[in-house]
Amino acid sequence: MTTSISLRGAGRRFGSAWALADVDLDLAPGVTGLLGPNGAGKTTLLRLFATALSPTQGTVSVLGLDPAEPAQRTGIRRRLGYLPQEIGFPRGFSAFAFVDYVALLKEWTQPAARHAEVRRVLGLTGLSGIAAKKIRTLSGGQRRRVALAQALLGPPAVLILDEPTTGLDPEQRATLRTVLAELARTSVVVLSTHQTEDVAALCERVIVLDGGRVRYDGLVTELTGQAAGRVWLADEPDPAASVSWRTGTGRYRNVAEHARDGVEHVEPSLEDAYLLLRGGRTAGAEQATGSKEVVS
Amino acid sequence: MTETIAMGQAARPTSGLAALAGREVRRYLRNPVFLAGVVFTALAVKSWHPGRVQEIGTISAYPAIFLGGSGLIAAFWLTQSTRRSAEALDVTPTTPQARTAAICAVAIVPFALGWLSFGIFVRIQPLDGVWRYGAFSSSDRMAVLVSQIVVPTLGGPLLGIALARWVRFPGTAIVAFLFLYGWVSLISILAWAHSNSLPFVMLRFFAPFTFFTLTDGPHNVDTWRGSPWFFVGWQLGLCAVAVTVALLRGADGRRQRRLVQVLIAAAAVTVLMYALTVTGGWNHPVMSHLGQAPVPIGHSPHPTNR
Repeated sequence: MTTSISLRGAGRRFGSAWALADVDLDLAPGVTGLLGPNGAGKTTLLRLFATALSPTQGTVSVLGLDPAEPAQRTGIRRRLGYLPQEIGFPRGFSAFAFVDYVALLKEWTQPAARHAEVRRVLGLTGLSGIAAKKIRTLSGGQRRRVALAQALLGPPAVLILDEPTTGLDPEQRATLRTVLAELARTSVVVLSTHQTEDVAALCERVIVLDGGRVRYDGLVTELTGQAAGRVWLADEPDPAASVSWRTGTGRYRNVAEHARDGVEHVEPSLEDAYLLLRGGRTAGAEQATGSKEVVS
Repeated sequence: MTETIAMGQAARPTSGLAALAGREVRRYLRNPVFLAGVVFTALAVKSWHPGRVQEIGTISAYPAIFLGGSGLIAAFWLTQSTRRSAEALDVTPTTPQARTAAICAVAIVPFALGWLSFGIFVRIQPLDGVWRYGAFSSSDRMAVLVSQIVVPTLGGPLLGIALARWVRFPGTAIVAFLFLYGWVSLISILAWAHSNSLPFVMLRFFAPFTFFTLTDGPHNVDTWRGSPWFFVGWQLGLCAVAVTVALLRGADGRRQRRLVQVLIAAAAVTVLMYALTVTGGWNHPVMSHLGQAPVPIGHSPHPTNR
């Protein structure tokens, strides 16, 4: 396995609170999904990958380079694409002008090549037809795609995406999955999301963060497999279930820590497995956090 | 992904900086506040009539106000315009210092217009033989005009960029412009009332713009204390300090240490220029009458307060 991103004992503190603690990870080319509740430390971890933050403890290495060294950090940034969770746009910019501006900052100094690259990423994100429109006139989903387009410039060897599918319609999400899957053949793609179906559809590997700690790191299929025999449908919510919710058919989907017999089992989804993992959180998380107080 | 253009575009940093500076200049040229400043300056310059000798400070202040003032506000907004995209832009290989340097290049535009205004002014009102320039030599008269017409058009935008790099409040540039306008007005009034008092002379020069002469009755001009050329040096020193302060934002490691050293050196030179401004030039205010030798104000053989 060719490691492109490596974290050793990495942590990040804001004031007295640890947003992330003692994280050890190795990421190779492919798509890795990052799941976790709000405040789990997902954005902090992505910002460490993207060299937007430096760790308070431990070390981070991206593409074999040390982001703490200014020259090496620049080397990483030459091969990095980053979509932040929230991004604003300068007033008066069109979609093309904004992506072109970022391309210039990414050292695409030859106008012809730069414009071709900007057109390429706008095409990938389905914005070719509205490239000349002012960003302020675009919808939320279109703006999100403009932000995504700038991250795809390069193409990058490391692509960090913080909730990339927010505001996208199902067709756009499907297109994005195709683009990312293609890119992941040679690049490291890490995406943080609350959409488990995106992770299930796209990622081989999933990392679940909770309370600033890694709760799970492994294959999506393995995590989903952990829920086998623990998900069933019933006419009523089961008191023994960790989580129950009413489905569109009017029946209740139950997810429980312990496998049940004599019930109508259904194929577990990644969401079931994630909820199961979260359902057994309390005891495990307290052990994991150890001496550090981790914000969540 | 059907089409791939390999990275490897990375050109020499200078060509990237030039391309970025060109982009920022084009954005600046479209800024409505700056364009309004250009229009008002053009109207002011149009009102300068050949053959009609005019008050130097009053007339020459228009480019400073319109080009320097609008330049301050426009450069501030230009610099702040990308703040909301900062998280994405900050992780590009172009450092914050390179981006700041590219934005500083926009000051070339108002600066060039300042020189153009200067050229028109001296053509209409030649430096030699016009009594309104007071008791200054031709060289000092040029320095007075450069300090009043040209340098503020450079300093305004640079101050705007420095403020934008460090202050988030969107109205900062307008507040700064009003403050400077008020400060210069206040110290000018005080200087008029106490033209030979050293503390007030020091106060008068503690500003990015100042007056050196005052028309005092028909064909009489008061020439105040201080060296116009060293005042230009003080102004340029302030410009250097503003640029360095702007560049310091986001700097770390060795680059930050170097910038701090440059800032200390620039500040030291600026203070030296200020001291030489106060102590140089006429060491007492004089009044010159049309075609006659200047006399100390109050007709005393020794410097006195008015």
